Amino acid sequence: MSIHERLDATASGSPLAPPSVTPGRRARDRSRRGSAIGRTIIVAVVGLAAVSPLYWMLAVAFSSRAELLGGRELRLWPREVTFENFERVFASFPVATWFGNSVAIAVVVTLISVSTSLLAGYAFAQLRFRGSTALFFLALATLVLPVQVIMVSLFRIVTATGLYGTYWAVILPVSASAFGLFLARQFMLGIPRELIEAARLDGAGHVQTFLRVVLPLSKPLIAVLVFMSLLSSWNDFAWPLIALRENRLFTLPIGLLYLQGQFGSDYGATMAYALLNVVPIAIVFLVFQRYFVAGLARSGIK
Amino acid sequence: MPVTRRSFLAGSGALALPFLLASCGFVQTAPAEKRQGTLTFTTWGTDAELAGFRAAIAAFEAANEGSTVELNAVPYEQMFTNIDAQLQAGNPPDIFRVPYYTFGAYAGRGQLLDLKPLLSADRQAQFTPQAWAAVQNGDGTFGLPHHTDTSAILVNLDLFRQAGIDASEIPTSPENAWTWDQLDALGERLRAGLPADRWPWAYNWQGNGVTRWLSLLFQSDGAFLESDQKTPAIDSDAAREAVAFSSSFFTKNYVPANNTIASSSYAAESWFSQSVAMVWSGAFQIPDADTTADFEWTATYAPRNVRAGSDFGGNALVATANTQQPELAAAFLEFVTDAAPMRDFCRAASLLPTRGDLLNDQLEFDVRPELAPVFAGQASLVQPQDVAQVASPSMSAILPVLKEQLDLAFTGAQDAATTVTNLQSGIGAATGG
Amino acid sequence: MADTAVARPGLSRPGRPERGERMRTRRPGARREALAAYGFLAPNYLLLLVFVLVPLVGAFFVSLQRTDGFGDGTFAGLDNYARLVGDPLFWRALGNTVLFTLLVTPLSMLLGLVAATLLNTALPVRPLWRSLLILPMAVSGVATALIGVLVFDQNSGILNRILTAVGLSPVTWQSDPVPAFATIVLATVWWRTGFNMLIYLAGLQGIGPDLYEAATLDGANRWQRFRNVTIPLLGPTSFFLVVLNVIFSFQVFDIVFVLTGGGPGGATSVLVTYAYETGFVTRDQGYAAAIGMVLFLFALVFAAAQYRASRTKDVVE
Repeated sequence: MSIHERLDATASGSPLAPPSVTPGRRARDRSRRGSAIGRTIIVAVVGLAAVSPLYWMLAVAFSSRAELLGGRELRLWPREVTFENFERVFASFPVATWFGNSVAIAVVVTLISVSTSLLAGYAFAQLRFRGSTALFFLALATLVLPVQVIMVSLFRIVTATGLYGTYWAVILPVSASAFGLFLARQFMLGIPRELIEAARLDGAGHVQTFLRVVLPLSKPLIAVLVFMSLLSSWNDFAWPLIALRENRLFTLPIGLLYLQGQFGSDYGATMAYALLNVVPIAIVFLVFQRYFVAGLARSGIK
Repeated sequence: MPVTRRSFLAGSGALALPFLLASCGFVQTAPAEKRQGTLTFTTWGTDAELAGFRAAIAAFEAANEGSTVELNAVPYEQMFTNIDAQLQAGNPPDIFRVPYYTFGAYAGRGQLLDLKPLLSADRQAQFTPQAWAAVQNGDGTFGLPHHTDTSAILVNLDLFRQAGIDASEIPTSPENAWTWDQLDALGERLRAGLPADRWPWAYNWQGNGVTRWLSLLFQSDGAFLESDQKTPAIDSDAAREAVAFSSSFFTKNYVPANNTIASSSYAAESWFSQSVAMVWSGAFQIPDADTTADFEWTATYAPRNVRAGSDFGGNALVATANTQQPELAAAFLEFVTDAAPMRDFCRAASLLPTRGDLLNDQLEFDVRPELAPVFAGQASLVQPQDVAQVASPSMSAILPVLKEQLDLAFTGAQDAATTVTNLQSGIGAATGG
Repeated sequence: MADTAVARPGLSRPGRPERGERMRTRRPGARREALAAYGFLAPNYLLLLVFVLVPLVGAFFVSLQRTDGFGDGTFAGLDNYARLVGDPLFWRALGNTVLFTLLVTPLSMLLGLVAATLLNTALPVRPLWRSLLILPMAVSGVATALIGVLVFDQNSGILNRILTAVGLSPVTWQSDPVPAFATIVLATVWWRTGFNMLIYLAGLQGIGPDLYEAATLDGANRWQRFRNVTIPLLGPTSFFLVVLNVIFSFQVFDIVFVLTGGGPGGATSVLVTYAYETGFVTRDQGYAAAIGMVLFLFALVFAAAQYRASRTKDVVE
């Protein structure tokens, strides 16, 4: 079979096959090792370039105010590592409460948006119904609407429904997103129809099929959706600020705005605060990254 | 990952902990009707300012049995987006703080409570005329001026010495403030005496601080609006002179190239980092300067041309038109602008009072008290007719016109005459007059 | 599972039965299926309806008025839209947004692809490199922009200090339009590459190594394998990423607003920053709403175009 015939019939979800032993392997191994060094160097350079702005955030967060404003020579690390920025941040803001608010909102948003996205994504991917095209790209088009455009109208709705001043004023509008739907559909298109039809033939209803067949196959997708949802709601600030009214309900990112004063910024404290904001989500990231990176490959075939 | 019982409990515990830290935000805690005797007060502020507000609130609550003022501190950046949305949806706070250049936008659109019938008879006389002018709209008084600030010049004495300029040349009274010619000559000497990576000065006109450019216009005895707050009045030789003078800062390399209006770096930062020898600045920077600047510095008066002129910065306190407690709101505003609360607030926050009985040589700052007379003196140079223009309801529409045209002049894209012509038509379009 | 007739993500299912046969077996179930589908869509669309579409319709009506937001505006018909057509600031914002999209999308996708390809090979401490590359995603847009303000400050920022230290001349990142535009592009690419990389990584890991084996046996070298196996099979993934990247580029706000504020002189002003300034600074809410509607229209057109294109890529629907 030529490569082109294989391409036409291939599954892009096949499990990673074990490397086969073919002639010339030792020679290939040697060149592979050489190029492995080259590749490592490249990826190390790219990786360090990617992380250097974050390093800079770290350096500034631990630099004293005087050092940040004075000094014009090139220093790649602070002369004196200080915690004063963090002290200032904790003294000025109820960081623990805001952290708790952020978690509460992020968790509920994730629960709602992941489940609605899974359901809707499945419908678009595997079910037939009239108007699917129109509905789908209507949802797609809502992705482009930044909150600034609909802010005032949305605020009226939130006030009229009595949600204003509670977490729900943030949770519900933020859960209303087509991004998860889009991702879910993309993924679920790869679920083989045969599995679904087999279940249907066995007498399972649509809901049953979804719960018993589709969901178990979608674990990697669920991991990605949870991830992206946590990330975006964790970092969201424009809408929560307007919807939450009281200081005590604010979420963590709003604090960054506080530090942008009327006439200039306290960069040390800003970076310290940004660090506090990033660290929790980064930890979640790093700990759970393999669950969806490796797992995405297994797109549904057992 | 197999979910063992232990890991599940640990996970739930870890997940539950942050919830314990959270506020009870899932249910409404504030009743829809506000309690009788409660005012909501939304403001931004530095730590010192918020502390000052809290102290004043505590005193008010103690003096007025049964009344409560709830302070809600929000970030400055988004303050007015939120206020706007709240006003439009019908649930704004009772009281909020507003810069004088934004005041007109709300007053001119009927969003604020007219305090005239509610104030005590002698209240007007207690404020300086320029402060009172800042809160008028039509026939009504729609707020009380809480504090002001104006820009004087902070001088890095170390850099002056380096450029061969003696500290004795720095003006010590408003009468011998530098004239524009003298300032230009000073700029030349600084330019010659400083290395290439430093500049003579930076001007604090970034973002909404563009109102500080107006000081130069006023110093030439120009205006940008007639007394009706609508008709543009900027097409004048005075304006052309002001534009040409400020543009020359860039062509003569007196200011860093990114000292434009749209810059994301504020002028004060370049002064702190010793990129510039002088900076126009309000008094509120003094506490920061004291802790951060590791060089010797002082303050002096802003320049003068045909006359002295300065910007009336600072903020007023206003009540919203549909507040449920107009009398209580007015009482609170009066209380906060009484002599003792205002003095304490301004002293701690390094701002200038708006009361005549405080803006004199009795003015005290906690930090660098010897500089208080400079700022008090500078503030006394502000003319009421200059202030009244900034209180125009169209000021928020005028600001973008100023920002855009001035930056075009500063970057050399257009000359002073064209800039002023464009300003005239732009301001006219903004006011509809 | 048999390896015949399996589906590829992004493409429709192959192997359709005969037409007549299909009608007979599907017709009784078709209605139930449609009802089930609507049921499945309902939660998501209910949220979208109340919290996105209704405000959108509200914004549309505001765009037909001349209003400052307080009190009722006066009906102005299509005046705001007519004003848009003749407004040079609007066209500049639109042009900047398009330019921004054209730069950021291919750059972040390309870098993502390169990174994913590298990470898909055997490397020492691979999880470390992967972590480094996705870490930028964890930072919010505002924080990214704030780091950018520090790094790119042309007087005292670290980047110019490094440039001077190695003997190059410092760049005027704030006061010149082209460098300022470069800063927003660079900041956004830095931020978005991680996401592109992740999606590409997933796509790459779904390509079976037996395909590469077959290509090697056919005499293909590494580059040819990449070009003739990897790229085509990543087609659906690339398509998906193009759509997302374009959509997010069109609605960029935080990074531009905080990093350059639209300056210098409007050189980096984009549609959403222009709409925000018009609505909340100048307080011309009707005009701002009109800009928002235009943005939405572009998105609709783009979404329709991509959906059409993706359908022709699919096997017969």
